[in-house]
Amino acid sequence: MQSQTVSDPEVTSQAPTVRPILEARSLSKSYGETHALSELDLSVAPGDIYCLLGPNGAGKTTTINLFLGFIAPTSGQALVADLDVAEHDRETKAYLAYIPEQVMLYRNLTGLENLEYFAALAGKKLEVDQLRSTLVEAGLQSEAIDRRVSGYSKGMRQKVGIAIALAKEATALLLDEPTSGLDPKASNEFSALLEGLRERGVAVLMATHDLFRAKETGTRVGIMRHGRLVAEMSTSELGHSDLERIYLNHMRE
Amino acid sequence: MTIRTVFRNEMRLLAADRVLLSSLVLFVALFAYAIANGFAWVAKQEGTVAAVQAAEEERGAALAAELERIAAGGDPGSPFRDPRAANVLGGNLGARTVVLGPGPLASLSVGQSDLLPYYYDVSIYTNEQTFLQNGEVENPLNLMVGRFDLAFIIIYLLPLLVLALSYNVLSGEREQGTLALTLSQPVAVRDVVVAKLLFRALLVVGLALGGSLVGAAVWGGLGAPVRLALWCGAVVTYGLFWFGTAAWVNTLGRESSWNATVLVGAWLGLVVVLPAVGNIAAGILHPLPSRVEMINTAREASNESVNRRSELLARYLEDHPEMAGGVVDDVAGTAALSWAATEEVNRQVEGVAVRFDEQLSKQQALVSRYRLVSPALLAQSVLNDAAGSGDARFAHFEAQVRTFAEEWRGYFVPAILAGQVMTAEAAMGRPEFVYSEEELSVVLGRSAMPLAMLLTLALLAVVPAAIRLGRVRGGG
Repeated sequence: MQSQTVSDPEVTSQAPTVRPILEARSLSKSYGETHALSELDLSVAPGDIYCLLGPNGAGKTTTINLFLGFIAPTSGQALVADLDVAEHDRETKAYLAYIPEQVMLYRNLTGLENLEYFAALAGKKLEVDQLRSTLVEAGLQSEAIDRRVSGYSKGMRQKVGIAIALAKEATALLLDEPTSGLDPKASNEFSALLEGLRERGVAVLMATHDLFRAKETGTRVGIMRHGRLVAEMSTSELGHSDLERIYLNHMRE
Repeated sequence: MTIRTVFRNEMRLLAADRVLLSSLVLFVALFAYAIANGFAWVAKQEGTVAAVQAAEEERGAALAAELERIAAGGDPGSPFRDPRAANVLGGNLGARTVVLGPGPLASLSVGQSDLLPYYYDVSIYTNEQTFLQNGEVENPLNLMVGRFDLAFIIIYLLPLLVLALSYNVLSGEREQGTLALTLSQPVAVRDVVVAKLLFRALLVVGLALGGSLVGAAVWGGLGAPVRLALWCGAVVTYGLFWFGTAAWVNTLGRESSWNATVLVGAWLGLVVVLPAVGNIAAGILHPLPSRVEMINTAREASNESVNRRSELLARYLEDHPEMAGGVVDDVAGTAALSWAATEEVNRQVEGVAVRFDEQLSKQQALVSRYRLVSPALLAQSVLNDAAGSGDARFAHFEAQVRTFAEEWRGYFVPAILAGQVMTAEAAMGRPEFVYSEEELSVVLGRSAMPLAMLLTLALLAVVPAAIRLGRVRGGG
């Protein structure tokens, strides 16, 4: 079971031994003289929740956008299930689900209709019952399913985002600041959902500022600064205050 | 798969958007009103045609009765009312009314048919003035805007509906954030945007085509399938131009408000300003001779000819020595003199008419070249031509009327100059006008160039839009 592999402190600080779903090889992105990302090497295996920490402009979102193919790398490769994103844009997206900081859906449609549409775009034609149970599984209250999304909170929209990931049976989940702006209860619920996905063997790559959430939820943590990955560790190796100390040390350098 | 999925979603979005739904309902109402308006115009035109034809029949019956009465020994009363006199019979008494019926798809487009004459009384007095009275270029706004018919809605208002539905087809997705979620699915964004545009195009163009078919069916235009196909081809191509333009503007990556401003500006420029500027430029560059000058010339010629009748007759007979023997008695001599005076007036008027025609053709040539830059003018010319309410069909009618007037004069003038008495048989056997409709191949040939040009303009918008859409990646 992959979860045993990743919980082993001896191994998790290294690259995982199972085939990673997400892999960056010397991945770089520059905008003229500005290096948004430099020589990133990173891999996320099934059952791994990899948290990318770093200040604004560290290259976290750039990394996620490169895996999604939203931007093209200047050099290096972003691989999803061993496929180069630059060459296999559509094939790689079949493996991916994306939850941005604000999951934006069609406001005039219901949660169910949004899920049906995006699942269908991903090639998954589900019956109404299946769509309902997926939304419930993603944590959405059943009475909200047929309400218009314009009345949803950020947390509820995220749950629809998770439901899309579940419906398309994504093997990798890319999250960009998912817990910012969520109250602690909603954050906890979200972490529980991620844990559920991890247990299913989904590889999760999450960009976040939230050190506490990274420590609690993540299995591995990477610290980024100025477009570089400056540290990488397994959360099981860390004590409660260790992560904050390490992070701040790196920020001072 | 993508198309069906997007169509289903678009249908839901449309159903949930009250503003858009209301706009569509408003357009359906406008279509219905335009069809009713077009139908009312055709009914009016047909009513006029029926009335003038009835009046002519009445005149014919009265003429026959008068001839019968005179044959039975009745007195015509005055030589000016004697139907046996060639100048009287060939003049107003026996004049033929020639008519041009409404075009095959007239209920769809009134076109020029409310500006150009569709009936004339042809007599020996028919001359250039008869045609010129109606030949002046009208108020450009009238020419340009026309009546509130289906062609008006398609040319002027349909682009606005297209723009309202598609100005934010991509920018809106980006602004509301759904583009990121769409782009993270294994689909090409081009496929999604094209499917969204296709849904809107089917809605808008379908509405226009449906309205056209209903409008045509109401007045029996379904009997002209080739013209209807030409009409539909112009509607589809014109729609393609506007959807292509909206798609292209969307690919520039600007916000929706910017797109809306640019597209409304394009509508204003291409549909309203350019055609008006073209008409004004034509008027300034090739001004028509004044109508007052025309009328004065005719009056002066008429007065002079009255004063110099003998001289005129002598000159006329010098020109036509074969007619000299016929001027025998006083009445016939007066008629011949009068005819010579008429000919002199015609000759004088012709001078002005030639200049008028030259300027008019220059204007029309300029407008014809100029329309190539305006998709609205191109589409309008094809729609009018397909409907049979454009300039060309009226020119075709007028040419036949001129030929008929020649034939008419050829029938009566020798008799006038020879002082012949017209028999009842000759009176009843006077020339009749039969309008022959333009060949379809001529209509199609004339429409081929504007339609091809319209298609070229549409492709100039669609192709770069398609290329740029293929490059859309970022979800931000």
